[in-house]
Amino acid sequence: MLMKIEKGTISSSQLLFLAAAFVQGAALVVAFAYVVTKHDVWIIIISGLAVTLPFLWGCVSLAKSFPGQNMVQIMESVYGTFLGKGLSILFISFPFQVISHNLRFIGDFFVIYMYPKTPLVVFLILFIAVCAWAVRSGIETIARIGLVTVAITIFIDVLTFFLLLGEMEATNFLPMFELSVGDFIQGTHIMFAIPYGELMIFLMIVPYVNKIKQAKSALLWGLTIGAATLLILVVRDIAALGSLANVLVAPSFEAVRLIDIAHVITRMELLVAIVLLITVFIKISVLYYASALGIAQIFGLRTYRPLVIPIAIFSVSFSMVIYDAAAEQMYVGANIWPVYSLLFYMLPVMTMLIAKFRRLPRAQEGVRP
Amino acid sequence: MIHFLKKIIQSRKMSKQVIDQGAASSSQALLSRQLAHNVERLMQVFGASNDIVLREFSFGHEGKMQGAVLYVEGLANKLLINESLIKPLMYDIHIFEGRLEVTTLEAVKSCMISLGGVEEATTLESVVDACLSGDAVLIIQGFEKALVLNTKGWEDRGVEEPKTESVVRGPREGFTENLRINTSLLRRKIKNPNLTLEPLKIGKKTKTDVCMMYLKGVVNPRLVEEIRRRLNRIDTDAIMESGYIEQFIEDAPHSIFPTVANSEKPDVVAAKILEGRAAIIVDGTPFVLTVPMLFIENFQSAEDYYSRPYFASLIRMLRFGCYGITILAPAIYVALTTFHQELIPTPLLFTLASSREGVPFPAMLEALVMLVAFEILREAGIRLPRPVGSAISIVGALIIGESAVAAGLIGAPMVIVVALTAVSSFVVPAQTDSESILRYIFLFLAGVMGGFGVAVGMLGLFIHLAGLRSFGAPYLSPLAPLSVHDQKDVFIRAPLWAMLTRPRAIGWRDPEREHFRLEPSPPDKGGKSSK
Repeated sequence: MLMKIEKGTISSSQLLFLAAAFVQGAALVVAFAYVVTKHDVWIIIISGLAVTLPFLWGCVSLAKSFPGQNMVQIMESVYGTFLGKGLSILFISFPFQVISHNLRFIGDFFVIYMYPKTPLVVFLILFIAVCAWAVRSGIETIARIGLVTVAITIFIDVLTFFLLLGEMEATNFLPMFELSVGDFIQGTHIMFAIPYGELMIFLMIVPYVNKIKQAKSALLWGLTIGAATLLILVVRDIAALGSLANVLVAPSFEAVRLIDIAHVITRMELLVAIVLLITVFIKISVLYYASALGIAQIFGLRTYRPLVIPIAIFSVSFSMVIYDAAAEQMYVGANIWPVYSLLFYMLPVMTMLIAKFRRLPRAQEGVRP
Repeated sequence: MIHFLKKIIQSRKMSKQVIDQGAASSSQALLSRQLAHNVERLMQVFGASNDIVLREFSFGHEGKMQGAVLYVEGLANKLLINESLIKPLMYDIHIFEGRLEVTTLEAVKSCMISLGGVEEATTLESVVDACLSGDAVLIIQGFEKALVLNTKGWEDRGVEEPKTESVVRGPREGFTENLRINTSLLRRKIKNPNLTLEPLKIGKKTKTDVCMMYLKGVVNPRLVEEIRRRLNRIDTDAIMESGYIEQFIEDAPHSIFPTVANSEKPDVVAAKILEGRAAIIVDGTPFVLTVPMLFIENFQSAEDYYSRPYFASLIRMLRFGCYGITILAPAIYVALTTFHQELIPTPLLFTLASSREGVPFPAMLEALVMLVAFEILREAGIRLPRPVGSAISIVGALIIGESAVAAGLIGAPMVIVVALTAVSSFVVPAQTDSESILRYIFLFLAGVMGGFGVAVGMLGLFIHLAGLRSFGAPYLSPLAPLSVHDQKDVFIRAPLWAMLTRPRAIGWRDPEREHFRLEPSPPDKGGKSSK
């Protein structure tokens, strides 16, 4: 049994807000799904949620049946040391890749919309530096920031929703359900694989919740709150932009640009950028923390802190070379990543089945870590 | 190399041992029976200092007994010594005529000395210590013990209205430099036997009196333990002010945010003690420390609780806003005018552009110059003698404000922004130092990276604050981690009858502050009292 690296604990309500902020971090990633499902995106936001809830429920059940162990430790108990460590490396490579994608995404966003002349790498380095600071401070600190980001995000989303009421056209939603079954499945799959399913990484954090019994409902509620925020955003954007939303890289940014109340309250898009920044910050910090902790556990280190800077350097370099342009990311996000990521989503499902099959955890009572 | 280091450490250890031995031998020096011998040794210790008063006299039946009184002039109350110590001994008719035989020290103590605090001392060092802290020492021929008499009485500043935290409504008294007066001010507020005082002496050379005060039953015992541990490990020469203590016990010595609060007002400190905090009072300064400190304490003023809740809540929110303005306003102005002109509404943009026309510097430099000028004026205003101070404000307002704009060196909007920043910084006085530093950091970030830089800086600030702790309490509590009960005293100040519990991060041992259902209401029309 590996020793406990993280000594801090978080409360279940902090877990809830962390999960909600994590999902809200995908506010702009929904753009991937616009390409496929056009103005019916709101349907797949709900259907994606419906698919993800049972998946997440299963994940947390797995964590609960191995109390005090995170995914890396669970896999080691289920598959044995060597296979377990191998699969753990596979599992930890997932948050690591997601960090790079998100980092690139936020960097591209700022370069395209606000700083056309600044090199991308400046944003990547500054952003990852803040995340690294948060990760070094530990899960308790990240969790404390979660609530504030959720509050700010919901406040700004609702505010812009009301300010945009004048620009909205209900007819933009018509014709409803203009979706082929294939598109619907693909869209749902995108929502599952990109914003929602990534919550799987909370398997690395759930053991540090002080009341493990409430962790399940906290995570599921967090997901639902996050999804509800996305729904508000999508409804706002489609209603305000119409079919224009389908072709833009960042529809919510463009939608909020339309706000013009008496020529005084205008150009609110800075708010969207701020919301994006803080929610993506939470998302990257959680993933970053999970990968640092996971790697430390795989290699039996006493602390994950020496890994923080190397991971930052790797993810900045990785995100620099991962795409040539933002449009490429849109394509990858819609068509390639959802299929590829199934490889990782398989892991908890497989682990759960094999744990059931081997009747694990067996005779674990009293040997809690 | 290592060998060399070892040697150094060893030699330091050795020298320390020698010093310790020296100190030990002098403190072990016991008093002798011979008065003359004792007096001689004491005078050796004090040397040529001429504020030491030694009065030798004989008393008792036919003046058979020899005694000496030793005190420091100015520290001890001379009148008290004359009236209550020397006079009874020398003139008391009973011993003078031999009717009362005084042979033991106890007899002297119980029959002859009309003073409140009397203790016995056996070593030379305790006698010297007592003298230096204002007590008088009575040594009598033939006894190995001396009597230490509490005659402390030196010139003090009286209880005055504090200069730093003035209030419109509320008590006007403030702490003074005298530890005893300060503890008595607190005792007068909290008349409860559980209000505990723990005395300490810190400072090898100054031997400053320090006193920890808390309310037993409300305070967390682990907090008291922790404070005691941190105070005891202070091993320094001198404690001049409570700031010395603060810097030795704070949780985050490298942070720009203070994690130990201070106040000059007894009502503030008493309220904090009642919430479950502990106070550390240091002799010689009116500033009393309280721990643990939360970030929101900076925004809570005593007056919030004395005035009615609605206006107090408005002011509370205003303070949070001012804190934001004072650290962010110049940065946001620079970010908007340099990077995000498109975010400014067009008419405003025209106005700004026309007033900045002809200004030869970039906005960041302009802001930097104005902020530094403001800091200079502020510092000059504090250090200058009062009458000259007004001259500074005239020079500052006229030359920097008016002429710089007229000469076209600085844009008028920048003057407005900096003025707003400056005024706002005085609304949250407890955070002045962190405000000033943050202002420059954000200005730099805005000048280099615009809005993105400011946002990243805010995130960094938030991470830093969320990671801080003060004596176990999360610094950002009750905001992060969230405590729903305590939201009654953050952005709004709920009515007193609604604030039922003590802050969760601090006083959770005895959470109930008051009975609920205390909301006042007029009696019903039917004559039935609603209570």
